[in-house]
Amino acid sequence: MTTAIEQIGRSGLRAARASQDTLTFAFRILARMFDVRAYNSAVRMVLINQIYFTSVQILPLFLAVAVIFGAIVIGIIGQYLIHLGLFYYFGQLLMGFVVTEFAPFITVLLIALRSSSAINAEIAVMKVNKELNTLYVFRIDVINYLFLPRILSGILSIVLLSWLFSMIVLASGLIFSALLFDMSMNDYVTALLASAKFSDLIVMLIKCATMGFFIIMIPIRYGMRATDELTSIPVSVLQGMVNVFIAIMIIEVVSLIVMSLIEKFI
Amino acid sequence: MYSKEELLDKELYEIMTQEKHRLGLVSMDAPLISNLSVLSNIALIKQYHGRLSVREAEDIARMHLEKLHLDNIAAKRNPVLLEMQRFSVMVLRAVMVEDAMVVIDRPFKIMPDLDDTRFIHDVLTSVDDLFQECHVFDYLWNEKRYTGGMIHGA
Repeated sequence: MTTAIEQIGRSGLRAARASQDTLTFAFRILARMFDVRAYNSAVRMVLINQIYFTSVQILPLFLAVAVIFGAIVIGIIGQYLIHLGLFYYFGQLLMGFVVTEFAPFITVLLIALRSSSAINAEIAVMKVNKELNTLYVFRIDVINYLFLPRILSGILSIVLLSWLFSMIVLASGLIFSALLFDMSMNDYVTALLASAKFSDLIVMLIKCATMGFFIIMIPIRYGMRATDELTSIPVSVLQGMVNVFIAIMIIEVVSLIVMSLIEKFI
Repeated sequence: MYSKEELLDKELYEIMTQEKHRLGLVSMDAPLISNLSVLSNIALIKQYHGRLSVREAEDIARMHLEKLHLDNIAAKRNPVLLEMQRFSVMVLRAVMVEDAMVVIDRPFKIMPDLDDTRFIHDVLTSVDDLFQECHVFDYLWNEKRYTGGMIHGA
């Protein structure tokens, strides 16, 4: 019994230490983000490349997913609301669920599956190949040159792609609500505008930025944990991606709590 | 010239620590960045420390690549380079450091097929206006491969 309790305590302490390390690292990156001296032409070039890899290359897949998922979700939601006699809440569900929850979640999942894993593997390979040593020898700051542009591109990509996803879903909602539910454009737009809350949009923006920050920062951290052995690369990617998933869940829960508190007090 | 790896590593570490602000290291332990082209690898130093724009830094890098007749590999990346090309690019990257002190760590580890140091000498001579001093670290048993008295024993 004592051993079991000790084991739980040890695991708890390990988890607490890991969280503390992650947050300390996050604050170091944040501090650099607002330091103008960190941005030279090399860093800007990496940032542009990363935005291209993260946001532009994914566009064909992303647009297809947005149209297909958007149509399915709007179709299902509309049918259920009609069935329950609650079609009055159609606009509220679109704004409250699709725009503030569904769009960021699908965007984060797509970016995490594609870019987080790639960045985790890239950093781990650089570590194994001693390329990080090259940067150290030539006095090139690893945080400024490697981490900062990737994290900034993650934040920008999640924020912008979430908005794009929302716009596509709402646009396809306009078409499907006219085809399936005989809803006029005027009624649709009025329902959406009546349900739009500025506070929800701000929380969504902050949530997207936070997710963008963590789903790139965590894989970088785990990539850095690779040793000199090639076999440490898959291990670091595996651990990084599991932690990215946990981070997404934590941010989702925290944002829901914040939104309900705002709802309660404002 | 050193008889043991530990002695060489110790001495190398000391010089790297003392001269870190003007160190231009050519070593297997400081490889070219594999997701950058040859041109970007060389230009990176000027972009970062000289705060030059991408175009300015790449123009300088291209000019030096042309000097070594390597302009045909500017767009290539590290894994596809031949050993001698890789060495030349590493030297060019090293001399991009301001007032560079070039330190070549075990050149025959980078180019195992080389018989002597004539090629190393030729590369260094073509860029001798870009660095202040050069040190080569190697093992004692490679002494015979060093010709022309270019290397002073440490």
